[in-house]
Amino acid sequence: MTGDKIVHGIFFSVGVLRNGVRERSRKALIALAFVMVLAFSLIVALVGFGLNSSSQFGSQVVGGTFLYAIIMMVTYVLQKRRVAAGRAKRSVGRLILVIACVGVSLAVVLLSFLIMPLRPIVLLNAVLIGGLVLTFVLILIYDGHPILKERGTAGLIAEAGLLIVSGIVYMTAVSIWIVPYDPTKLGVGPQLLPPSPGFPLGTTYLGQDLLSRTIAGGTIMLEVAILSVLVCFSIGVPLGLAASFRGGLWDRGVCLLMDSIYAFPGLVLAIAIAAMLGPGVVNLALAIAFVYIPSYFRVVRSQVLTVKELPYVEAAVVMGARNREILLRYILPNILPSAIVLMSINFADAILTAAGLTFVGLGPPVDVPDWGWDLTFGWGYLISGAWWVITYPGLMIVLLALGFTLAGEGLNEVLTPKLKE
Amino acid sequence: MTELLRIRDLSVVYKTRRGTAYGVNGVSLDLEENKTLGLAGESGCGKSTLGRAIIRLVPYPGQIASGEISLNIEREILCGGGVIRKGMTNLMELNDEQMRSLRGCEIAYIFQDPMTSLNPMRSIGKHFEELMRAHDPTVKKEAAVERAKEILEGLGISPERVLDYPHQFSGGMRQRVMIGLGLALQPKLLIADEPTTSLDVIVEAQILRQVAELKAKFDLTMILITHNLGVLAQTADSIAIMYAGRIVEVADTGSLFESPQHPYTQALLESVPDVSKPEKRLTWIPGAPPDLTRPIPGCMYNPRCPHVMDICKEVNPQLVPSKTGGLVACHLYDGG
Repeated sequence: MTGDKIVHGIFFSVGVLRNGVRERSRKALIALAFVMVLAFSLIVALVGFGLNSSSQFGSQVVGGTFLYAIIMMVTYVLQKRRVAAGRAKRSVGRLILVIACVGVSLAVVLLSFLIMPLRPIVLLNAVLIGGLVLTFVLILIYDGHPILKERGTAGLIAEAGLLIVSGIVYMTAVSIWIVPYDPTKLGVGPQLLPPSPGFPLGTTYLGQDLLSRTIAGGTIMLEVAILSVLVCFSIGVPLGLAASFRGGLWDRGVCLLMDSIYAFPGLVLAIAIAAMLGPGVVNLALAIAFVYIPSYFRVVRSQVLTVKELPYVEAAVVMGARNREILLRYILPNILPSAIVLMSINFADAILTAAGLTFVGLGPPVDVPDWGWDLTFGWGYLISGAWWVITYPGLMIVLLALGFTLAGEGLNEVLTPKLKE
Repeated sequence: MTELLRIRDLSVVYKTRRGTAYGVNGVSLDLEENKTLGLAGESGCGKSTLGRAIIRLVPYPGQIASGEISLNIEREILCGGGVIRKGMTNLMELNDEQMRSLRGCEIAYIFQDPMTSLNPMRSIGKHFEELMRAHDPTVKKEAAVERAKEILEGLGISPERVLDYPHQFSGGMRQRVMIGLGLALQPKLLIADEPTTSLDVIVEAQILRQVAELKAKFDLTMILITHNLGVLAQTADSIAIMYAGRIVEVADTGSLFESPQHPYTQALLESVPDVSKPEKRLTWIPGAPPDLTRPIPGCMYNPRCPHVMDICKEVNPQLVPSKTGGLVACHLYDGG
């Protein structure tokens, strides 16, 4: 056995697998089988949901999203080949892609007005968002996978995270059309029924179908999490950059403001703001965003203060770079990784805060299915043995937070050239 | 020979809590085109501050208190605030935007630490692109990359490495990249602040030779700041010795090493170890440089000078012509 084959501890099997050709092919077969089984069960589940949906339109909606994604994917591959062969410019390729996207979307809009004149917006929302997410997934697997695989574990982690998040987004987008029961309708089954053939995940204490609620419950979470993180990222990061780069009185002033926000306990402040703004998804997101601005500001500020003293920033000044260029090209890329890591933690935090706000009645209206709602009102029934009421929504929240964290961590590593080799 | 740089009575002060320190104190200097001026002295004598003052980037809390820095500009430079005209221009009168467009374009500056002087998040090609675009926004990306390849090849780095990131280069290569960046826009004046201090001797020799070649190729005028007198002996045409913020002696390289005039220069040359004379013990200059926040009257060197006279403790000597053709600031020579 040569030296490089001796691998210690837990990596022993991995090391051996890497070396032998036969083992490698066996590993590839196992992976292929796993992917096949996964894909097959997903398709079966989607077909099952589609056929059993309460809306009667489940399979059409799911089929529509797939059609959308496949058309887009084919266009993407064709234009990419043309560009690679040198028969079209890159900008032309992009234009083709945009035209295809707009064209297919218009077709979806027209069709949804024809098929469902009463609720066209709901239908086209589901198909458009679902189709776009599926397109993203397909392109990620087709085009992104080879690149991400090159980067080793970090790339695969990023890919896994992105797949989890887009899976949940897709599920949420088409949820209204594929759920077996109306998730908000009371008394579709007996109260607190354990998982059984008719209700695979059981029912809640109000007799709602938990499977439907689990599928549809992500809307609020996703909207609140994405909106709040976007808002506080886009306020906190530029504020931190500008204040700490400028320094002096500006820096002092903004620091003071941020520290005074920081001084409040997060949830209390969020409750106060949400109470002031009134209930609603956007207000909820704003309240959460406000609470998390200081943490971005603090992280960005400390990083900027370190980075702006580094020799390469000085070298840029000496070479005649403008302040704007130094800020955007030299400082921002170097502080972004820490802000992105904070973002992935922030997603999970925002979800939990949203659940907390829902608990005190400042969340979304009662008739919107929400994991946070199920969690906060279902845990009381745990004592009486109804474990399923909080288990499944809880699992979904964990999965979503995991997806965001994996994607954030992985992208951070992939996008930092320092960690490349 | 035309004059490229003229410095008159330049003073840089550092306002600290302990008082005002004169980092550079009334320095006057002339630099002719295509010459290399070596700036030498011990740590803290103000040689780096002088270099920084020329590009008007004295690190906080320092500021240029008085003086004139004139640069002979050979081409008209367009910048946001208008045009900088040809001819002798006093840099102290330019505004920040005009000064910015001069940096990198007419005056290049190379730092001593190549390991951290490149942005770790940008590839080498991007560095060149951004540098060129900062001075001329119309430069196309492809043209910038082509130029970067050309320069890198001239410096002995294979052109396909423009896509690599700084961490993939060794220290010597990074310093060469820095030099390439400095010369990309063909400046007239290159200020190299201890460019080879953190490199080993073999790489140091390579880089110095390349700099000398580039100097001939681009008609460069150089100010080489270093405490390594051996490097200066090889590369500089003339040498200015600084002590406590003042220039104490300026002379041609040959005459400075053969017959140093100022007692400080003599002591400095004595303290250079000589491999060929193993019997010679290492010497040093007794005492320490004066505290710049509390200037002593007279010559700054008088507490450490072996030839100290009464006048040295009262009157500050001015630079006068010495018998070797240079300038020296010492009461031994001004007839007093």
